[in-house]
Amino acid sequence: MSKIVILGAGISGHVAASHLRRKLDKTHEVVVVSPNSNYQWIPSNIWVGIGRMKSKEILFPLAPLYKKKGIGFKQAKVTSFYPEGDNETEKPFVVAEYVSTEKRGETERITYDYLINATGPKLNFEATEGLNPGTNKAYSVCTYTHADHANEGLRALIAEMKKGNEAKIVIGTGHAKATCQGAAFEYILNVEQELRRQKVRDKAKITWISNEYELGDFGMDGMLLSYGSNIMKSHEMVEMVFEDRGIDWILGAGVNKIEDGLAHYETLNGEHKTIDYDFAMLIPSFSGHGFKAFDKNNNDITDKLFKGFMIVDADYTPKPYEDWTVQDWPETYQNPSYKNIFAPGIAFAPPHSISKPRKSPNGTEIFPSPPRTGMPSGITAKLVADNIIDSIKNKKESLHHKGSMGNMGAACIASAGFGMTKGSGVSITTFPIVPDYKKYPDTMGRKLGKTFGEIGLAGHWLKLMLHYAFIYKAKMKPFWYLIPE
Amino acid sequence: MTKRISKFKRFVMMNPIIQFFKFIFLSLKVLLIVAGGHGSTREVHK
Ligand SMILES: Cc1cc2nc3c(=O)[nH]c(=O)nc-3n(C[C@H](O)[C@H](O)[C@H](O)COP(=O)(O)OP(=O)(O)OC[C@H]3O[C@@H](n4cnc5c(N)ncnc54)[C@H](O)[C@@H]3O)c2cc1C
Repeated sequence: MSKIVILGAGISGHVAASHLRRKLDKTHEVVVVSPNSNYQWIPSNIWVGIGRMKSKEILFPLAPLYKKKGIGFKQAKVTSFYPEGDNETEKPFVVAEYVSTEKRGETERITYDYLINATGPKLNFEATEGLNPGTNKAYSVCTYTHADHANEGLRALIAEMKKGNEAKIVIGTGHAKATCQGAAFEYILNVEQELRRQKVRDKAKITWISNEYELGDFGMDGMLLSYGSNIMKSHEMVEMVFEDRGIDWILGAGVNKIEDGLAHYETLNGEHKTIDYDFAMLIPSFSGHGFKAFDKNNNDITDKLFKGFMIVDADYTPKPYEDWTVQDWPETYQNPSYKNIFAPGIAFAPPHSISKPRKSPNGTEIFPSPPRTGMPSGITAKLVADNIIDSIKNKKESLHHKGSMGNMGAACIASAGFGMTKGSGVSITTFPIVPDYKKYPDTMGRKLGKTFGEIGLAGHWLKLMLHYAFIYKAKMKPFWYLIPE
Repeated sequence: MTKRISKFKRFVMMNPIIQFFKFIFLSLKVLLIVAGGHGSTREVHK
């Protein structure tokens, strides 16, 4: 009998738990440890943040589902890792602190045979002074509660605009090294469309602020894509959309301080500037959770497990940007020191940046960190689950399932406005996610045809269909497993 | 606001009938890219 403990019930943790439970018989224990009582389909927070969806439409409680499916659930947050056990507990374990109302503050040692760390990112608002969702007129849409606040803020602003007042809106990244530009891109287009729907668009000046060097970088160094019969760069496509929607942009901006209605930022040429606003949505930087790890003698071995995020089978040798290769990226998401620990999704430490690193003359690094979107998070979680299942069934380590982000496609269906007839979407697919400049030297590291863009109503329908399909899948309804990650 | 999308292009982007076929095409294309698989890069380049 094996016990598999999964930390986190986001996209990757939940995918891993559901596949493990389906494929392993009940003599094996599957336990999820996560502080959230609800599962949330994060991509639809964009629509919650403009009031076109209620947060209850994008979430459901985890405990009843896990009970029904025979998955153990502890509503707790992990604080430390003991991958060798200690002198009290022989087996490896993690220490978790309960956050549920009944057991709040209690700690427990949770032992495991296999551990999947799917804790995603810490939303590191503290890294930007004054950036705290819902204060200083700055919001976030990273969780459903944040998105609810953002919607309240936006409603209040629209009410002011309806009275004839003009407004300045700033949307983008709230830190020099933030990632997840895609989410901010979706939000700015949805806000713009919502203002048109509310007939107040002429009252608003909307500005995109981002740490990207060029528009459409998305932390992936941009891309060359086929668009209809044309081939264009992602910055040209985004520029076309922004100009068409009357959205201004500020690039190479490392936001470092937020005051009431005022964002301070440093530019790539070293200038310190400010922009004032009446409503802002700024994505914070993502960081590791600051977990600690100890060996069996209680010596600190955090460095063996974490490099901010969790260390996996990547090549972390420091080297210049020009020298990195796609082979540096992990394939099994296994920790090299402790072979029974894995980290899919956002929880693993990327070997290097995908976007070209850039510094201001003051030494401030201003460029996007590498993103890991929902699709790779799900795919990497499933392959980790499959390797664990094989290892358990074959009674020896099996790592046949591999999935490097350098040999994996992703679809980013970015909502550009909500509505069955008036909605829009910018659908972008990339293959591979991490560019392989050796394999595709003439097309910026990506395969054209599999890397393409489309703009239009169909994109909105697709995004909406994915919303329903993935919530169906997450609820583990009949044949859920036929829906791909 | 600078008009960067022509009237015709906008019509194509927002016409429900054209977009219905685009939707089917996009869904299949996305499915193929995802279901098209993933794997190692290290073995390929050995
Ligand atoms: C607004 C927004 C829109 C997005 N839109 C898209 C999109 O359209 N398409 C797309 O592909 N991707 C999108 N993404 C990205 C996508 O949501 C992420 O890639 C995905 O959620 C990552 O999954 P994950 O499981 O690694 O992390 P998460 O989903 O963040 O899950 C982490 C889990 O770990 C738990 N956890 C945290 N700390 C602890 C702890 N100490 N102990 C135990 N558990 C812990 C959390 O509660 C959570 O359950 C979007 C992201 C945002 C913010």
